[in-house]
Amino acid sequence: MRAGIPRGRFFAMNLARFRDAGIGGIVLGVAIIFWLLNPLFMRPENLFAILLSVGIIVVLAVGQMFVIISRQIDLSIGSTLGVAAMVTAMVGRDFPNVPTIFLVIVAVGVGALLGAFNGFLVVGAKIPAIIATLGTLAIYRGLVFIVSDNIQVNPSEIPTGVTALARVSTVGIPPIVLIGVMVVLAGWYFTRRTMTGLRLYAVGSNPEAAIARGLSPLRFQFWVFVAMGALAGLGGLLYIARFSTVNPADVGAGFELQVISAVVIGGTNIFGGSGSVVGVLMGVFLVGILANGLTVIGVSGFWQSAAYGAIIIIAVVVDTLVRRQMSSGGSKGKGKHNG
Amino acid sequence: MVDSKVSTLASAGKALGPFVPALVVFLVAMVWGTLASPFFFDIPILLLHSGRYMEIGLLALAMTLVIIHGDIDLSVASNLAFSAATLGLVYESGASIGAASVVAIAVGTSLGLVNGLLVIVVGLPSLVVTLGTLALYRGLSQIALGDQAVTGYPETFVGADQNLVFGLIPLPLTIFLIMAALIGFLAHRTTFGFVSLMLGKNQVATMFSGMQPKMNRLIAFALSGTMAGFAAVLITARLGSTRSNLALGFELLVVTVVVLGGTDIFGGKGTIAGTVLALFAVIAVREALAIQNVNGQIQDAVIGLILLLTIAIPVAVSRLWGRAKLSRRKALLGLEKGIKQ
Repeated sequence: MRAGIPRGRFFAMNLARFRDAGIGGIVLGVAIIFWLLNPLFMRPENLFAILLSVGIIVVLAVGQMFVIISRQIDLSIGSTLGVAAMVTAMVGRDFPNVPTIFLVIVAVGVGALLGAFNGFLVVGAKIPAIIATLGTLAIYRGLVFIVSDNIQVNPSEIPTGVTALARVSTVGIPPIVLIGVMVVLAGWYFTRRTMTGLRLYAVGSNPEAAIARGLSPLRFQFWVFVAMGALAGLGGLLYIARFSTVNPADVGAGFELQVISAVVIGGTNIFGGSGSVVGVLMGVFLVGILANGLTVIGVSGFWQSAAYGAIIIIAVVVDTLVRRQMSSGGSKGKGKHNG
Repeated sequence: MVDSKVSTLASAGKALGPFVPALVVFLVAMVWGTLASPFFFDIPILLLHSGRYMEIGLLALAMTLVIIHGDIDLSVASNLAFSAATLGLVYESGASIGAASVVAIAVGTSLGLVNGLLVIVVGLPSLVVTLGTLALYRGLSQIALGDQAVTGYPETFVGADQNLVFGLIPLPLTIFLIMAALIGFLAHRTTFGFVSLMLGKNQVATMFSGMQPKMNRLIAFALSGTMAGFAAVLITARLGSTRSNLALGFELLVVTVVVLGGTDIFGGKGTIAGTVLALFAVIAVREALAIQNVNGQIQDAVIGLILLLTIAIPVAVSRLWGRAKLSRRKALLGLEKGIKQ
């Protein structure tokens, strides 16, 4: 597998791995600071809560990483999650006896459908992804209202099979976390061990060259949006399991910011062509620990948004400076884009 | 003779082309609103209602410049919220409302400048920077105000937006039109605007031609912040209170207005006149929906749908047009083949 990768890229991959370790160090450092400030942070119940929120965000973040590697972006994921969660919760409410696996299929299917529409807008209608998904962010949010008729689904109406996903199972780990782990492993295997995964990087880092090699960037971009939608749908199911309530006004709102923060912190290049699942996992942990830790040490929730913003900017500044260092160190720099 | 006529028609079509989507949306919404309710077509009322969209209008004017450069500023709404928060806090600390407004505009400008410096000096993509500052500035305004609201503004200030200029045009609309004239002059009648367009079209060539594109882009970002500051003053006068969730989600509306006005999202093309027209189109749509008691989220969804259609339809039409041309050419070729045989 490595034979086909030129030395410069190989060096860059090693550096990327070093970078992942760096973020891992920051995550540990932040966790230790929170622990020192308030020992309650390390209590099993709290770590459990962090794992649950990380389990949901990571499912979306892996999808967003694929999208960004292919040079696109999906801002509509929060609303996609919202529609999938709402539809699934309503099916669960109206047909309490359907097996849980059927609800999983509904959630993933609805998500994939909305993702395919995004893909169609970007690939078929040639609308730039930022604009297309900014539009569907609002459209899908409206869809949540239309589908639900502005009525929330209450905890008592959610099938117990779904809420069980957020409880400790016989294995000792809640299924949400297991699903997150499975998505991470699958994402890692796909990007590092399959031909299609390598081609995704090829299409993202140099579409012209990829076309010359007989690959179709458009086809990759379409399927990447479908995959993102399906994962957002899965995230919707996990959302129901975790929160037990689906309120049309706020289901999934603001998820895009957490997820894009995590993906960018994880070292995914916003211009496409590079990114690693391990880095993204670290980014998700940083976002999850920060959200939880700030509350635990008694800093008001009002600081959360500012913290995300500051971290996104710091991460991109550091990343850009490191990349520039790398490109001046001999290997070829990436083309700079305007905007 | 015929040829020249066709070419003048074609060039006129090209010049007016960018205005067509906004004009169509405007007319359709006006007709639809008038059919839906007998109370809709009341020009003084519509003008008065337009006041609440002028914050979006001010942001869209500067955003047009930013997008012409090939950049984007997603942080405008958060910038507005933080500028409004400083206005409130400075006023609460005992300053006059005039001084507080000046501070708010200065703060808005500096936040815009921070965006610009990060994009231009550090060389970061504006999409990511302003996505970061979207969260950061909103967060700062939440930290500054918490869940409190600043109220108790002087009576001469609150409701100042209801004043009519010449007994007809509401004050916010007047401010917007003056700003539109100023920024329009800057964009279309000065070297600055020329460099902006060139820069959006081809950054590398512009730099080789010895212009100063960096300064240009920086000014556009700063101006975007200045407009957020002005909009903060306007919204405070209109609502009479300041909360940290002011203008939440305005960035979608602002970008929609700019794109609907015929500005190319990739830069290099765009007019202030188009943005002004598009603002009135969006106002017409929202008012037509509001008079039928359509829920706010659905209104946003309709605006989102219009955004997508205004980009997708021209692409689809030009593609169909291209295909029709191709098939005609093929038919001609087939005819020639037939003759040869």
